[in-house]
Amino acid sequence: MSDDERMDTGDFEGGDYEQDYLDPDTLNYENEDGENGENEEEGLNAEVDETMIVESNAPQDGERQRTGKAAKPNEIRVTTPYMTKYERARVLGTRALQISMNAPVLVPVEGETDPLEIALKELAAKKIPLVIRRYLPDNSFEDWKVEELIIQE
Amino acid sequence: MFFLRELTHTILLHPSYFGAQLEDYLRQKLYEDVEGTCSGKHGYIISVITISDIGEGKIMPSTGQAKFKTTYTAIVMKPFKGEVVDGKVVNVNKMGFFAMVGPLQVFVSCHLTHSDMKYDPNASPPCYRSNDEIIQKDTKVRMQIVGCRVEANDIFAIGTIKKDFLGQIRED
Repeated sequence: MSDDERMDTGDFEGGDYEQDYLDPDTLNYENEDGENGENEEEGLNAEVDETMIVESNAPQDGERQRTGKAAKPNEIRVTTPYMTKYERARVLGTRALQISMNAPVLVPVEGETDPLEIALKELAAKKIPLVIRRYLPDNSFEDWKVEELIIQE
Repeated sequence: MFFLRELTHTILLHPSYFGAQLEDYLRQKLYEDVEGTCSGKHGYIISVITISDIGEGKIMPSTGQAKFKTTYTAIVMKPFKGEVVDGKVVNVNKMGFFAMVGPLQVFVSCHLTHSDMKYDPNASPPCYRSNDEIIQKDTKVRMQIVGCRVEANDIFAIGTIKKDFLGQIRED
């Protein structure tokens, strides 16, 4: 739900999206025209329009970043910036377990002794040092830090 | 023979070590875990030279521990058939003698010694004796490896001294 809304408003990396889809075409043309579309050294490509080169590069990078197969997170993130209730539960549970096993606490405990309460306090202060790895159906993934996710009560 | 090898080691880190000194602790743990161990595949890991990548920690579900996949370069020692090595005798009995080549144990059977070499059980310590050689505990010997028994976490070698220039090494 929240995903779609974000997309519609267009403030969530919508621009990158379009660029990506356009890219393969421009890339191919580039390769056919100039013999060496791959390495865009200045001397060789002097005759080719510079703007073309930049464009082709951008998509190429985009392509690679979006597949993210080989243990590399996707550079362009498309999932919701909100923390889901399942992520919240997992993060709190993991962090509470770590705190119960003597992990250093990153907020003042103020006499609190329940690990789950301390974990909640850390989450409220955005101090939980964990990264959520969201896997997509194509097995690529996105890494979101807990501190950058929006938490709703 | 010694090799420089790129190896990986997985460290499981307890949550109580999370904190500012995490990386130092990981390095120390890698040295402790790895140096001096032996694997049949790579040989004896003598020393870690460089730690090339300490890896990202991955939280294990339900234990709260972090898993780090570190890659490092180490000096490893792996014996080969036909290799000539120097060692020190640690044990002598009627079947032959055992010598240590660094961490590697080499057994030299009495059948793989020169035919004029005889076991002398009455000497103290017991020794192998020929006209010009005495092999007893702490003698330095030069051997040729004729075979290796490789197990998952150990390597044993069989040696021979029944060739020219092998046998006791004299100090002078």
